[in-house]
Amino acid sequence: MKTSGIEITVVVNGEPVQTKIDVNDPISKIVEEVLEKTGNTGQPAKDWEIRDASGNIVDLDKTAVALDLKPGATLYLSLKAGIGGS
Amino acid sequence: MSDTQFTDVSVSRKKFNREIREFRRMSDQYLLRGWLLAHVKFPIVRVIFATSKTNPVMILCGVSFDYTNYDAVPPSVRLVHPITGIPYKSSEMPTFLPRFVQKSDANVEPIELEEQRLMQHRGGDDVPFLCLAGVREYHEHPAHSGDSWELHRPLGAGRLVRLIQIISKYGLDTVNGYTVNMIPQLQLNFVPQPE
Repeated sequence: MKTSGIEITVVVNGEPVQTKIDVNDPISKIVEEVLEKTGNTGQPAKDWEIRDASGNIVDLDKTAVALDLKPGATLYLSLKAGIGGS
Repeated sequence: MSDTQFTDVSVSRKKFNREIREFRRMSDQYLLRGWLLAHVKFPIVRVIFATSKTNPVMILCGVSFDYTNYDAVPPSVRLVHPITGIPYKSSEMPTFLPRFVQKSDANVEPIELEEQRLMQHRGGDDVPFLCLAGVREYHEHPAHSGDSWELHRPLGAGRLVRLIQIISKYGLDTVNGYTVNMIPQLQLNFVPQPE
């Protein structure tokens, strides 16, 4: 049971998912947990990018505390562009 | 609705409605990013991109997503006139969504980057498409025959917000201001002479 948890929303490819996180965990761990929770395990976490509400990329090594994430905050997790273009 | 619908239309419509519902659920947040849901009529949805970082705010473009036969096939994505919804031809494109990727011989120092355009067209002045896994034209192209849609569908590669996020990253988010070009002109003033 997490002792320093807050509830946030992670929007995975547009689908909002409520999740409880430990504020001392790195964002990378939160990403992995959310991907597992939503069944998005076909691509590794490095193929996803997570942004804050302003659209800024979030540093995966930082913790929720370091990012000053408050309860009810929203992060946006999307599959990267990957191969494409020319 | 397109007359080429071959998937059970109720399935496509249900999945389409889910995309719209999820966008609308977070629409207040997306508005702050400059993403506006302008037109929704199954199977087409048009999103307008507005430059929230500039003053005054400017509309960069519209993007049309065609979810015909979704998700048996991925959506078709085009940049369009934001008001009329008419797809931009190559010569009219406000941006080709450029990104910079490492050249193939990445082990050579210094690492060189090359520009890669995500909006591609086949030639002439035809209508470009978003060349990306998760987009119909990408998977239909013979050059990508080994990268089938079925590999990407479970990952949500064709989801509306995911595609909007990518277009925004390489298009809208790269706009940070205006440039005004002033071209000086020299003009002779003729004063009529009295008779």
